[in-house]
Amino acid sequence: MLSRVANNLFWMGRYIERSEHVARYLNVNYFSSLDAPNAQSQDRQFVLRSMLLMVGNPAENTEVLKEEKVLYQIGLDSDFPSSIVNNVKQARENANSARDLISTELYEAINKFYHFVISYDKEAFVKNGLHDFTTNIAEMTAILRGKIRGTLLHDSVYAIIMMGVNLERGNQIIRIINAKYHDALNAQGSYGNKFKNSFEWTTLLKCAESYDMMRRFYKKTPTSVSTLEFLILNPSCPRSIMNSLNQVYKHIRTLDSSMTYNKKSTAFLVGRVRAEYEYTYIEEIEKDIPLFIDEIVNSLSEISQKMEKEFFNF
Amino acid sequence: MNNIRNQLFSYYLQDPALYDEMYDSDGQIKRVYQKLSDIYGGHSIKDYVKLNDKAKSSFFNQGITFQVYDKEKTQEKIFPFDLFPRIIDPNDWDVIEKGAIQRSKALNLFLWDIYHDKNIIKQGIVPIELISSSENYLDQMNGVDPPGGIYNHISGTDIIKHNDGKYYVLEDNIRCPSGVSYVICNRTALKRALFGVFNHYKTCSVTNYAENLLDLLETVKPKGVDAPNVIVITPGMYNSAFYEHSYLAKTMGVELVEGRDLFVKNDFVYMKTIRGPEKVDVIYRRIDDAFIDPLEFNPDSTLGVPGLFAAYIKGNVTLANAPGTGVADDKAVYTYMPEIIKYYLNEEPILNNVHTYHCSRPDELKYVLEHVDELVIKPVDEAGGYGISIGNKLSKKEIEVVKKQLIENPRKYVAQPIMSLSVHPTYIEESESFEQRHVDLRTFTVLGKDREFVLKGGLTRVALEKGNLIVNSSQGGGSKDTWVLKK
Repeated sequence: MLSRVANNLFWMGRYIERSEHVARYLNVNYFSSLDAPNAQSQDRQFVLRSMLLMVGNPAENTEVLKEEKVLYQIGLDSDFPSSIVNNVKQARENANSARDLISTELYEAINKFYHFVISYDKEAFVKNGLHDFTTNIAEMTAILRGKIRGTLLHDSVYAIIMMGVNLERGNQIIRIINAKYHDALNAQGSYGNKFKNSFEWTTLLKCAESYDMMRRFYKKTPTSVSTLEFLILNPSCPRSIMNSLNQVYKHIRTLDSSMTYNKKSTAFLVGRVRAEYEYTYIEEIEKDIPLFIDEIVNSLSEISQKMEKEFFNF
Repeated sequence: MNNIRNQLFSYYLQDPALYDEMYDSDGQIKRVYQKLSDIYGGHSIKDYVKLNDKAKSSFFNQGITFQVYDKEKTQEKIFPFDLFPRIIDPNDWDVIEKGAIQRSKALNLFLWDIYHDKNIIKQGIVPIELISSSENYLDQMNGVDPPGGIYNHISGTDIIKHNDGKYYVLEDNIRCPSGVSYVICNRTALKRALFGVFNHYKTCSVTNYAENLLDLLETVKPKGVDAPNVIVITPGMYNSAFYEHSYLAKTMGVELVEGRDLFVKNDFVYMKTIRGPEKVDVIYRRIDDAFIDPLEFNPDSTLGVPGLFAAYIKGNVTLANAPGTGVADDKAVYTYMPEIIKYYLNEEPILNNVHTYHCSRPDELKYVLEHVDELVIKPVDEAGGYGISIGNKLSKKEIEVVKKQLIENPRKYVAQPIMSLSVHPTYIEESESFEQRHVDLRTFTVLGKDREFVLKGGLTRVALEKGNLIVNSSQGGGSKDTWVLKK
């Protein structure tokens, strides 16, 4: 596979995954705030701020945000680089350049996805289309994942795309954790340990589509510790950082099948990062969450850079 | 004008001066179209509009589109496609197929000759001006032996049916002919919308193009290569034919590269892959001669690969089509095609050439001067349709002006009879009915070492504007699925 095309496929995977997380974040935060148990979590300004923080464009503290403006910016504003519409455009652009390598079925699904997003009515979206738009994105990205898994040859093309998907997933989950961690600090509930029992942990799990399974696993109301443990360290949770790292490790093995000892390789780095979290207690992380977030973000970006150097350098 | 009754075709108006491929001159449906007419006729206009929309969205979703730019934003549009197929009788097809192969082979021998001994010129069969005044003749190709002896691996031959019911070749395209992917897309779209019609006809498949192309490209591998590494090179994803390039690479299962993915080292060509450099042996290039190598041709080209031409001359890589083929698809060479075929193959041309009168020959000039109103007068050296006079559209005064020009400078002009393209029933969205529209046919011929292949089918292009004879997609042309029936 050409290095240039591999790079494009890697980013195609990343952009598909990214658009889904942003869409779900908007959806879950907006709708769970409507009947949140405390005034702070119900406050529209609070929710809009959280959305902007998640897409990496935090608002000024004094700024009064307009709902329609914020929703438009994150959803459909083609002048805002991190908007959903731009993510989808990038995903399709990258797919275009690798059109000969991916299946017709996958391409057609991406193309439909693209046309759905760019032709979505802007007025309708900011007034009452948020739910429809974001749930459609979640569904279409699920179809894309199905087409990636079900119609591509499981060779290096697949491995590259899946590395993009999983690195991005790890990245997005950590961003979501970061945003909700700040929300939990700011919006403390009314009983017990206010931070530990914050309503925001439930929202966080829902943002990662992991709430139901978390309840099944712990059989208790989410707390800061159980939520973070589930979303960071539990390898059986498909959205956990641990699972993302395991997936990345599996796919890098397809690309780098030499299995020789090479401490400069991406495979070595991925293995090292993965081993570190595999045997960590959540209590160690909980002691200093901001530090942990910084570290994992750095590790993921280091992996990405290393991949670029090893495989995409042209 | 005859008025034919049959639900969907109830308002079909037939102009008796035109050759209609579906109806004979009495307004009767030709036998081969009868079943098709029954099936389509069973739809109401409303049903048909629905099917038509379905076919259109199929193209749209598959991303088989081109961009239209206007002030506000860029829009994606599909190439207009007509759901009503064109049928080619197996006996007619035999003639077309044999004729297309004959022309491609003759052109290949002609190219070899004019880049080697130039016998055809030495013997006075064609004038030296054909190459000396041609912009597309590449001096760098003199004495170069392309691998397998093939120059025009892929030829697109544009054929029309005149109102005498005979097929004529209008043009040979042997640089980078495009359109073959649309043949396959048209078939796919028709199958998606109206699969039932295929039960009633034994139609030849068109999906075998890519595998045959790959097989034949492998026969022209460079010397000393065992299993050649074939690739397709494209100018990039913003090129209007990018869909076709990616389609061909995908269906051949080979890499689609851009110039920047390749480099030349010690006169061998390599591509940059995730596992390091990989040698390339056969390049199906969809980049024009001028852009393939900035060291040899246009120095500003960023699409090509520095050193590619040197690697080619050394025989280390095959380029398909070979550089310099453009010289043989000139208008001027076209007029000598009957002579070229006879000279190299010792055969009579199977497909008709539109007869060309060379005004430089006194007896032919005399004929032209007497029949200006029945002819198209073209300057030999102008491109892009400039300076063309169509006899039956000229006033008496204008005819006198043309005559004067011909007498003053006879060497500058050739003349051809005015050709009439056949018409085919075509669904017109604006009027929600079928109307006559002019069509042509582009066939695709692949030459390999001692083997050849013609795609059984081809691109039927339709001039969607009423009365228009120009079928090019850039000028609002559409296309139809084209069925070659099995015998």
